[in-house]
Amino acid sequence: MAKRPGGELATRPLHFIWMADCSGSMKGDGKIQALNAAIREAIPHMRAVADENPNAQVLVRAIRFANGAQWHIAQPTAVADFKWSDLSADGHTDMGEALAMLAEQLKIPPMSDRALPPVLVLISDGQPTDNFQQGLDMLLAQPWGKKAVRIAIAIGEDADHEVLQLFIGNPELKPLQANNPEALVRQIKWVSTAVLKAASAPASQSTVPLPGGSNVPIPALPAPNAGPASAEDVW
Amino acid sequence: MENSVLLAGAEGGPRSRWRVLGASVTGAMHTRLGLPNQDALYWEAEPDSGLPLAVAVSDGHGSARSFRSALGAQLAVNAAASALGDLLPLPLDNLSAIKRATEEWLPQSVARLWQSRAREHLAAHPFDEEERARLDREGAASRAAIEANPLLAYGATVLGALVAEPYIVLLQLGDGDILSVSDQGEVFRPSWPRDTRLFANETTSLCARDAWRDVQVDFRALSGSPPALILLSSDGYANSFASADGFEQIGADLLALIRSEGLNAVRGHLTSWLEEASRAGSGDDITLAIVCRMDAALRQAPDLDRGQAPDAERAMSAEGGL
Repeated sequence: MAKRPGGELATRPLHFIWMADCSGSMKGDGKIQALNAAIREAIPHMRAVADENPNAQVLVRAIRFANGAQWHIAQPTAVADFKWSDLSADGHTDMGEALAMLAEQLKIPPMSDRALPPVLVLISDGQPTDNFQQGLDMLLAQPWGKKAVRIAIAIGEDADHEVLQLFIGNPELKPLQANNPEALVRQIKWVSTAVLKAASAPASQSTVPLPGGSNVPIPALPAPNAGPASAEDVW
Repeated sequence: MENSVLLAGAEGGPRSRWRVLGASVTGAMHTRLGLPNQDALYWEAEPDSGLPLAVAVSDGHGSARSFRSALGAQLAVNAAASALGDLLPLPLDNLSAIKRATEEWLPQSVARLWQSRAREHLAAHPFDEEERARLDREGAASRAAIEANPLLAYGATVLGALVAEPYIVLLQLGDGDILSVSDQGEVFRPSWPRDTRLFANETTSLCARDAWRDVQVDFRALSGSPPALILLSSDGYANSFASADGFEQIGADLLALIRSEGLNAVRGHLTSWLEEASRAGSGDDITLAIVCRMDAALRQAPDLDRGQAPDAERAMSAEGGL
């Protein structure tokens, strides 16, 4: 019998993108070191989740923002090959520029319209120092920006919850608060596992949106008191 | 489940014979998660000439809120086939009237029929404690959404085709693909515009209150050269290919395979092809219906073993809906 009809088969890409605040304030109290450690620790868990669903091709990237924004890891990298190189902190908080840079990469092309909804994780300890709203508008103008699973992690009490909530765009999902390294590890792990798992195997939804407008059901949040009992707020 | 489609009413001797084959497979991801196949496939054809024929494919949403969508998909294919079959008694000497009925009446008929059957099922089988508990675990908003529109539990898409001797009617609500393939293997899509809402796993649905507004229809008289194949597939199939071109290539490839190997051989491989596509592709359930005009299938087939074709046709003519 001749070959199977049709062209090349392919699993559906799932883009997972970290957006990390690398402003000067992240230098203080070991925040940037804790973020580097938390993401590095999450990678094996991400791989395990990806292995459970071979029909989703998890591709990871990272943007850093301080004075301007740059791709820290520009190439969409299969999670099996993904390695974290440490971020360093210095400068302002040009979050709007990071969102604008992300918007460029969420256009179709280079994105495919057969992709799974991307997961965007914004991590910040402060307030934007540039035009955040302009960057957010650019992101939400892209179909994949609008339909992405958008999660925010607030590091410390000085994080701007209002802008993080605007980024999330779902009133039922609040920014995840991390006031110590253990909490940051816990939040990063939840995003890297529970959220990644939900995004990699979404069922079809009626265009009647899910609560909060998301098209991916967001799993239950990590318990606030989970983790080492000795953890105290340090940020 | 009531499964009859009224195909009586078409008159006149057919000039070409048509056949339908199809398969529906549980997605690789559904198998891993222990979920059932939430697609549905149905067809009915006049046994001798194959015309008239009605075929329908549906994809139940499968989300937590659409917990009865496998049944909703079954209701959808039957509603579509019934509504399409209701066009057949219209006089064939007035194609304009059939076109008008397709455009003005068919969308409401399909949506109304599905919603009425889903409501009947719900009345006979109210949500049980387990379903309510599962919904509660999804959150208060999901429960509220179901209470506001209980048909969301049955949410499904639908694709349909009716082929009568002088015309073809196509219909679609929600995601999935309908392709027409010419004698030369060229692939065409229906005339309606692309719906930008069908994106990121979101789809329009029969469960929406004004679902009929989202039903797309296409009427075409069978003058000139009718399609060699009409293909209807759930979105899990197109999502399994690396590119849209790679998916549309199935049109020319299937026509070539039918010409070289015969319908029966293609039928024998269909399930394994779809399983392979799901495994190496989307992981989703995949359903494919193939409507084949036999004189096109037997044409331009230099490698055709003439001894195989009649066997293949006999085998196919014994087929019916799933």
